[in-house]
Amino acid sequence: MLGDDAIIDRDDAALISEAAARADPSNPAPSEGFDARHGVIAAAALLAACDSGGGAGGGTVSVAPPAPTPTPTPSPTPTVAVLTARGASRFLAQATMGATRTSIDSVLNTGIAAWIDAQFALPRDMSHWDWLVSKGYNSESGGNPSGQNGFDASVWRQAIAGSDPLRQRVALALLDFLVIGINGINLSWRAFAMGAYIDLLLDHAFGNYRDLLGAIARNAAMGSFLSFIGSRKANPSTGSLPDENFARELMQLFTLGVQQLEQDGTVRMSNGVPLETYSLDDVAQLARVFTGFQLATSDNKTPDRMREPMVINASTNETGSSTFLGATVSGGGMAAVDAAIDIIFRHPNVAPFVSKQLIQRLVTSNPSRAYVGRVSAAFANNGSGVRGDMKAVIRAILLDPEARDESAALAGANSGRLREPVLRLTNWARAFGVTSPSDAWTIGDTTSTTQRLGQSIGRASSVFGFVRPGYTPPGTAIAQAGLTAPEFLIASEQTNIAYINYMQSLVGGGTGDTKADYTAMMALAPNSAQLVDEVNLILAAGQLRPATVTAIRTAVDSIPLTATNATLNRTGVAILLTLASPDYLVLK
Amino acid sequence: MNAPTILSDVSRRAFLQRSALFGMAGVAAPFVTSLGAIGEAAAATASDYKALVCIFLLGGNDHYNTLVPYDPTSHALYAKPRGSLALGRDALAATALVPSVDLGGRAYALAPAMAPLNPLFDAERLAVALNVGTLIQPTTRVQYQNRSVRLPPKLFSHNDQQSFFQASSPEGASSGWGGRIGDLFQSGNGSSTVTCINASGNAVFLSGRSAIQYNVGTGGPVSLLRGGSSLYGSATAAQTLRRMMTETNPNLLASEYATVNKRAMDTQAQLANALAGTPESTFPLFPSGNGLADQLRMVARMIAISGDLGTKRQVFFVSMGGFDLHDNLATTQPVLLGRLAAAMRAFHDTTVALGVADKVTTFTGSDFGRTLASNGNGVDHGWGSMHFVMGGAVKGKRFYGTPPAIGHNTPDDVGQGRLIPTMAVDQYASTLARWFGVSEGDLSTVLPNIGNYDKSTWSQGFV
Repeated sequence: MLGDDAIIDRDDAALISEAAARADPSNPAPSEGFDARHGVIAAAALLAACDSGGGAGGGTVSVAPPAPTPTPTPSPTPTVAVLTARGASRFLAQATMGATRTSIDSVLNTGIAAWIDAQFALPRDMSHWDWLVSKGYNSESGGNPSGQNGFDASVWRQAIAGSDPLRQRVALALLDFLVIGINGINLSWRAFAMGAYIDLLLDHAFGNYRDLLGAIARNAAMGSFLSFIGSRKANPSTGSLPDENFARELMQLFTLGVQQLEQDGTVRMSNGVPLETYSLDDVAQLARVFTGFQLATSDNKTPDRMREPMVINASTNETGSSTFLGATVSGGGMAAVDAAIDIIFRHPNVAPFVSKQLIQRLVTSNPSRAYVGRVSAAFANNGSGVRGDMKAVIRAILLDPEARDESAALAGANSGRLREPVLRLTNWARAFGVTSPSDAWTIGDTTSTTQRLGQSIGRASSVFGFVRPGYTPPGTAIAQAGLTAPEFLIASEQTNIAYINYMQSLVGGGTGDTKADYTAMMALAPNSAQLVDEVNLILAAGQLRPATVTAIRTAVDSIPLTATNATLNRTGVAILLTLASPDYLVLK
Repeated sequence: MNAPTILSDVSRRAFLQRSALFGMAGVAAPFVTSLGAIGEAAAATASDYKALVCIFLLGGNDHYNTLVPYDPTSHALYAKPRGSLALGRDALAATALVPSVDLGGRAYALAPAMAPLNPLFDAERLAVALNVGTLIQPTTRVQYQNRSVRLPPKLFSHNDQQSFFQASSPEGASSGWGGRIGDLFQSGNGSSTVTCINASGNAVFLSGRSAIQYNVGTGGPVSLLRGGSSLYGSATAAQTLRRMMTETNPNLLASEYATVNKRAMDTQAQLANALAGTPESTFPLFPSGNGLADQLRMVARMIAISGDLGTKRQVFFVSMGGFDLHDNLATTQPVLLGRLAAAMRAFHDTTVALGVADKVTTFTGSDFGRTLASNGNGVDHGWGSMHFVMGGAVKGKRFYGTPPAIGHNTPDDVGQGRLIPTMAVDQYASTLARWFGVSEGDLSTVLPNIGNYDKSTWSQGFV
């Protein structure tokens, strides 16, 4: 660990006098940003596991409105690519919260497909719930029954130090569209309620999407956030009707979307008008099913009921029949809930709707129709007739040629996605071994748009989340090109600058005892070429362009080795300039 | 305009008194000097300057408990399906609105929490627009049921109806009507970047076909490296940082990100000095702990420096969230409406103090209205809603549009008291645009569907 005397100075600290910029004539020629120490280890196997699956209708029951069963687009013939350290880092930037030197080596050793399988086999890190308990937040006196204490610490701890990085990344992708924000939960023990919800996403990240839907429909935090706790069946004498909130967003945001889709994600049209997925009546009918929900117990002395599945109070639950999406359920209770979720889950929209969003979260904002079609096919049928198998979907997304073809991504002007702000933080933290010896993880709430990131895990202000899959920044070349860029919804003149200022502090001195370990970087720092190449590889997947590399090296070399804390400050410059570079910010 | 001067005087006095109460006595002289300077700066271009301010209520505000049916017949029709959520007539007496033009026997009261706006209504500074909502063309109940007219797509969906209200197109829209108004005026501004200004998050409303929305933040532009000129001890590194952040890039997304960075840095440099001359402390009327008030204070500061920047026309967007009250309506909505009213009142009084009240017109918008029917402790997504227009140029103390029938199966109802709008957002917008100076010939550029409405209705007359 770095001693206090070695903290990189901030401008307000001004530990270091300004040294005249002095170019180092001994600098070697600019590197191509390619790591040669790791040769060709794993190669052709990486593309082998892309399930093309059966037809989209395989293993499903067709439910109105019908969609034509598409013929899945066959996978293109895999091009044999040599897996390089740079390619491994790029893969890890898609599949984890950030690459590390160790994980790059691991992927190079096993190949990508085997690395994914190994991740599937890993046990989960400690749950948010158990961590909160282990820190005593569950005691009425020491804890904070009405508050959020411990929540951010647990979230950052897992995102940065979690031992199950693929699971962490997929769960964050799910949280981006199966949204709850902790401030919108009107329950006590909110840290536990929100922690339990994220635990569900982590639990089911490698499971089945249908099971995940069943779990979140019973989750206390969801019940509160989308207000179906306490929703009552229609009362003819008062005219009171069931709360429609969850019914609507379950279809609009979690499963179907508002427009009918082909399996490749294109919108189905009739006479030039998009076909809508459901009607006002469908929502009103489905809302009848989600009535009578309440917390499992009335005991508020402990947080336990925040993770127990909700139960249904028969006296306020609708037991009559409800007809929606052309199907009918009746009888009430959890049986009706499960029947209703089955009906939704079988709708042809679910595969392309969920698949495209997961691709956008992990790989690219603008996947080709064929790529969406291939992943949808894997969602519809994992090859064994199972619909909704997340492992098959994750493999299909990450092993697809469109995800793996680095040279095409680098050459294409429209490729990639803007790294979302919280991932930039975790990218840095994982790359440079951030730890919190006290387990305090004092990063906290990072939603401030003028002081921090404009985004924080589990802190969206509404069910529409921080990013929207169809968002295109109006009035830009992106919009003119007909492309989407979901993360630009939270990019603005103020937040872009605030991000740099915040990272300047974090990179420079961390927060509390949450700090990076730059030992390895400082060993390279006397040689600006080696330093920048290593930062480029781990943090930016080697995607800094040569001119950017040269500019960063020149900036590093402006700090003479004779200066106080020279290697540390040179390291800081290399890292912060990389984090600020548009080359890094858009992961191609 | 014809607004009574008494409000102006009262407000100015209150402004000064409260600034003293806020402990500013010690800096009274510089404060007054500063205020005078603001007034002069604004006055220099006063004959030219106009601003439109959109206050967007995110989540779909429940209009039934915001502008409450008050005459006994209407109130009874409202109260029964609302059940425990209904506001009683007694509680509404103090905020009942008495318009200068009778509404055919119908009457409304503001939610009690909105009492700070009653004096503005009485002083003809506040008007009410009735049953405003998203439409493509005039629509009757039969036409809705038969789908025999074009309807806004994805009705009742938050994100899409927010977008349709702001842009006449669902989510993914490429420009909004505030931005399209900005297109027409940005060349007349000293700096085109400060034509369309957002003091909240990104909103399609302010993006034009060429006009770009500028996000200003509530505390003014953030300064890179907090104004520092070196990075970890290196001035060279700081210079590299600025250059690298703004360079064009072969990747489209990266290039656009750099464009936002460049606009941020350029505009920060431009605004920082001007805003430093009008610090927050010289705007004491705004309540603290009120996010909307923070945004509107920033709008007021931008208006105050408009003379310095040579700005003639500006469109602003501010917003407030939390209105999607499927539950806890009775406890939560009054808190939100109280904040809304306090922020609006403070903003208006500040424009009076600045001497620009008749140059600034403020209006509300929202995703949609709500159902009349209760779901027990909240209400669900609706369509038409009630909105407010505020400012010195407003022909206030009046209702505009048609009071909708109240109840189920009325000619205005599509189910559970969801209202079919009788004033299209296009008509609401065209009225504002005409005041702002958009010519009749340009209206269809700003509002592509306005031609579907009779020309005599393009101005609803409220401003």
